Amino acid sequence: MGQHSHSRRPPHTPLTTMLEFRTAGFNPYNVKYSPFFDHRIAVGGGANFGLVGNGRLYVLNLTANGIACEKFFETQDCLFDIAWSEQHENQLLTAGGDGSIKLFDIGVGQFPVAGWQEHGREVFSVHWNLVNKSTFLSSSWDGTVKIWSPERKESITTLPIHSCVYSAQFSPHHPDIVTAVSRDSHLRVFDLRTKPSAQNHMTLAVPIHAPPKVRMPGMLNPNSGPTECLTHDWNKYRDSVIATAGVDTIIRTFDLRVPSGPVNLLAGHDYAVRRISWSPHLSDVLLSASYDMTCRVWTDGSNVDKGGNGAGMGAEMGRMDQHTEFAMGVDWCLFGAEGWCATCAWDERVLVWDVREFMRR
Amino acid sequence: MSSAQSRALEINSHLNPSGRAGLLEKRPDDIVVTAALRTAITRGRKGGFKDTAAADLLHGVFTHLIQRSGIDPSLVEDVSVGSVLAPGGGATEFRAAALAAGFPASTAVKSLNRQCSSGLQACVEIANAIKSGMIDIGIGAGVESMSQQYGPQAVTEFSDLLEDNASAAECKVPMGVLSEQMAKDKGVSRADQDRFAANSYQKALAAQKNGWFDEEIVPLTVKSEDPKTGKTTEITVSRDDGVREVTSESLSKIKPAFHKNGTIHAGNASQVSDGAAAVLLMKRSTAEQLGQKILGKFVAASVVGVPPLLMGIGPWKAIPEALKKAGISKDDVDIFEINEAFASQCLWCVNELGLPMEKVNPKGGAIAFGHPLGCTGSRQVSTLLYELKRTGKQIGVTSMCVGTGMGMAAVWVAE
Repeated sequence: MGQHSHSRRPPHTPLTTMLEFRTAGFNPYNVKYSPFFDHRIAVGGGANFGLVGNGRLYVLNLTANGIACEKFFETQDCLFDIAWSEQHENQLLTAGGDGSIKLFDIGVGQFPVAGWQEHGREVFSVHWNLVNKSTFLSSSWDGTVKIWSPERKESITTLPIHSCVYSAQFSPHHPDIVTAVSRDSHLRVFDLRTKPSAQNHMTLAVPIHAPPKVRMPGMLNPNSGPTECLTHDWNKYRDSVIATAGVDTIIRTFDLRVPSGPVNLLAGHDYAVRRISWSPHLSDVLLSASYDMTCRVWTDGSNVDKGGNGAGMGAEMGRMDQHTEFAMGVDWCLFGAEGWCATCAWDERVLVWDVREFMRR
Repeated sequence: MSSAQSRALEINSHLNPSGRAGLLEKRPDDIVVTAALRTAITRGRKGGFKDTAAADLLHGVFTHLIQRSGIDPSLVEDVSVGSVLAPGGGATEFRAAALAAGFPASTAVKSLNRQCSSGLQACVEIANAIKSGMIDIGIGAGVESMSQQYGPQAVTEFSDLLEDNASAAECKVPMGVLSEQMAKDKGVSRADQDRFAANSYQKALAAQKNGWFDEEIVPLTVKSEDPKTGKTTEITVSRDDGVREVTSESLSKIKPAFHKNGTIHAGNASQVSDGAAAVLLMKRSTAEQLGQKILGKFVAASVVGVPPLLMGIGPWKAIPEALKKAGISKDDVDIFEINEAFASQCLWCVNELGLPMEKVNPKGGAIAFGHPLGCTGSRQVSTLLYELKRTGKQIGVTSMCVGTGMGMAAVWVAE
């Protein structure tokens, strides 16, 4: 591949190494690799773009002959997110449009093995605690994040946010740290060890649209007001670094040690960014999925691996533009070579591909 | 709304980079308006309030605000009153008016003057005091008796130091004269100004006939002297008496006021008027605790400076600033209440900002019913919120130009 100009890049020729699965009749909202098996991925979505109608959870196997559907589960409403259990290799959680959270077991029939119904509106994210593995969380349009245990019928804690929470996560580095991003343009950090005082465990509320703390020549100046934040992800290596993204199309990185503004801004997507995911292999690399139908791979410029100080210029390293509708989900394969990922989009397709094939050389 | 509809709107909001969806969310720390009302606005030296002191007008809106909201007056910690012409800012008589209206000694009162935006400045200062935790409940108000206090005594003579400084001296140029020059420089024709002005009258007349001012105006019973008989009687004033049948044709016959070849005249500039308005503000959490009915919320405000001789362009600069702070674009706004100091400057701002005319001052403006200077900024709040509510719309902006070269704007949401 030669040098591509930024504006007129020839479309990629289909790659023999790209695998595809069609979710006919269902528009996927997220895709997740199993933390236990390198050949297993799950996809959640709904009919009619998730506006009205049933939802479906797919369990897919990557085989020598492409992607095969191992099993699927039907639900009453769209599934806006999914999360694999960290405790049990056959179980996974779903975030339902009807406010429900369900736990499915691949080995058990057609119905969930457990369910929780407390949220008053659509559940937009579910996330399993990666450190203590005995709790999980959910976030909802009802403006709350709830912490759960699979053994308990009621939630353990409710964290009020008062704004539609598109995404919440446990820190991958600490079992009691929870983050949430919401429609009100804030990244909130909760420490469940603190007393449930008036702050409800909240230790930090960072305005996402704040100007960068340190400005560097050539750095983008978004000069923007509040923007809905749709997604965020904890860096897997640097334990104070989080990336956020949303409606204003810009991916921002934050360092919670200096939380007053973003460290870096990654601009390039033409429409809202729906999902981002840091690489499990490289500390400076992340992947994004956008309403502009592209999935892009970025470096935040930190170069920590190469001895950098964590604050270089970020840059887009490549893009995959084979999706033909809004790209909604991205996830990295935790195993093997460092570039494999899965993406899903409203074009009713799940694509499994190697990021390195799309990097600019 | 069905869940399918709200989900479709949600996706739509993702594709339109706007803070509209976030703006419409209800949060406990929102600064909300639980009552907003005004007196009628009446013609200076001729209208219903010509013999009523500014403090009495203020007393009237305070009394009604307490009554309508049902707020325990002892919970109100501060009252800020915008007023331009009152000697000494009106500080003494406004405090007295609050006491007479039933506020206890513990309710603080101050007056402030940022010229024509004083009433808005008062609301914004109260909102900011609530936000910062200085107070929990406050009132932003505005009042002006131009009948009794309009005149040369309202401005102190300039010192030699100011007279000798070119841009300082510009602050003294009368509004009419500088607006005449601005209209000429910016190419706003007399015909366009008259059309805009006639439209303001026609909208106000229709709104009055349809009763669209009824919720914002509270009736006040005052004494008034008949100029012919010299007899003083009690009258109840409940409608803006400057509103009348006007066409651009009838306006075209009026002589220019500031220059013989000028374009500005009494019919396409704001009227000299009397009036008062008040807005009760608190956090949403406080309102819910007290069972206060929420009319809408205050979102953000801006204040900007422009050259003194171009004071009329204030809204053009202030509105985008306020929108930016609120994280929305002009397309997200349903109604703009932009003070009509002069048809020329208001029209220029509207055109320059590219605002659809049907979104601007849907019930008319100061040309039709008057501009009691300090009152206007707080008057616009009730005009806006009740109109948004009546039409089932949500997001509004209030704005005005400010003498000596400034502009203010604020973003509000009706609920």
